[in-house]
Amino acid sequence: MERETIARVAKVARLNLTEEEMERYANDLDDILNSFSVLDEAPAGESYSFNPIPVIDVLREDEPAQDIDPQALKAQMGTYEGYVRGPRLS
Amino acid sequence: MSDTYGLIRYAQTKHLAFTEVAEGLEDGKFHFSAKDNLCADGFQARAGSAVLDGYSPPFDATCIGRMKGSGGQLVGKTTMDEFGFGTFSTNSAHGVPLNPFDRERSCGGSSGGAGAAACLIPGHIALGVSTGGSISGPASFCGVVGLTPTYGRVSRYGLIDYGNSLDKVGLLSRSASLVARHFRTMAGPDPKDPTSCAQPALAGKGRMPSSLAVPREALQNLDPSVRSSFQEALGKLKGMGMEVHEVSMGSLRFALPAYYILATSEASTNLARYCGMRFGRREEKFDQHFNDFFTGVRSEGFGDEAKRRILLGTFCRMVGFRSRYYLKSLAVRQLLIEEYRKVFRDHDAVVTPTMPFVSPRFEEIGRMKPLEMYGADVLTVPPNLTGMPHISVPCAYVAGLPVGMQMVADHWKELDLLEAASAWENVFEYRFPEVSL
Repeated sequence: MERETIARVAKVARLNLTEEEMERYANDLDDILNSFSVLDEAPAGESYSFNPIPVIDVLREDEPAQDIDPQALKAQMGTYEGYVRGPRLS
Repeated sequence: MSDTYGLIRYAQTKHLAFTEVAEGLEDGKFHFSAKDNLCADGFQARAGSAVLDGYSPPFDATCIGRMKGSGGQLVGKTTMDEFGFGTFSTNSAHGVPLNPFDRERSCGGSSGGAGAAACLIPGHIALGVSTGGSISGPASFCGVVGLTPTYGRVSRYGLIDYGNSLDKVGLLSRSASLVARHFRTMAGPDPKDPTSCAQPALAGKGRMPSSLAVPREALQNLDPSVRSSFQEALGKLKGMGMEVHEVSMGSLRFALPAYYILATSEASTNLARYCGMRFGRREEKFDQHFNDFFTGVRSEGFGDEAKRRILLGTFCRMVGFRSRYYLKSLAVRQLLIEEYRKVFRDHDAVVTPTMPFVSPRFEEIGRMKPLEMYGADVLTVPPNLTGMPHISVPCAYVAGLPVGMQMVADHWKELDLLEAASAWENVFEYRFPEVSL
């Protein structure tokens, strides 16, 4: 796998890689994907589903409900004057 | 200190089976544990990852709520590979569990702590989670019964996702009867997980399988001791009155790559939520651009195997590769479901060894390349990829180490597997390590 390719994948995945990691993961992915090329021999298949079993839509009544106290969720996050803190967008 | 609590502490301190345990046992309740990727009020849920250090969910996963509701006490969270990424439980930020039969060997993964707890503590029920074999593998290496239900049978609400079209909550214990009892407790529709809502009701009793299929493709590349143990176990099954037939399942060779592509593709999106704001590890450098903020937390918080799988999954979903890898793997999953169904027209279950070898030493694992490690899942991946229920039971001991046998049934037929596992206990005596507190 080209260095540019693994660098692009890491950027999309939001991962910083050292030079050593870049080389090691590129080699690992090469090994893995070469081995997985056996999939090219599999028949194309006429249908597929995103789940192995049928899934049905489940909708609840459109009424206000609260499963978990939002304050309990906020306790896991950094807050400032009641707002969740995050990084700047630009 | 009760003997049971003493054993829980022993499993924690000597075998690193638990990341956290309760302060004591409550009177009149049965004891159970949960893999650390299941959320429970009062315990951290870190899923073996440093990126989740400090995360204490304010709610119970549905399966844990149901166990508590039926009189259970959650006595601890069990160690695991980071987010379930592993076959040997060696990819953990919170301790590597040590095999109950030999502390220099692996418990299997990724529910390794659950396997050790189920083995070391009589009467204990350990909740595990399987994506590609994470219940069967530890059950095999730790010499216990491990049931992986049909995908969607047990609600995944409160489970920290690895691959959401593959994850199943199941159970490990010393006996099939205990697994059967608590499987009934946890199974059933849950509106909080739509994938659990299409399931048929559980029957009153399972039907004992009478015809078993052994795919010849699954008997390749086995350790000779596992192969001969398995052949001997087949003889015992015949002695129980079951027919055993060799069959061919040519599509099995596509299962491993299809599984790893789907699992890592799903994982790479599921893990996008770990960005230093919402759960666990928190980044405080708010003056950074958001890309740098998120990237910094993830690069420091994820372990080596997590990064490898995120990279693999991200690559397989990228424009130009998606059809070749991701969509092809979805088609292969359908192909395999159809192949299993074809076998189930004439047979009640498919039986194979669970793992191709007995538990390896940590030094051997340390020398394995990633691809070799993935290859160890070759027998557990097919039922996991296709969402078929399966059970692993001990079937032999080689140099004091357990060998597992795995039975797979058609979707929703867990009770048939439990019937077979119960009957098996009448012809094969399980061994457990002696523990002196």
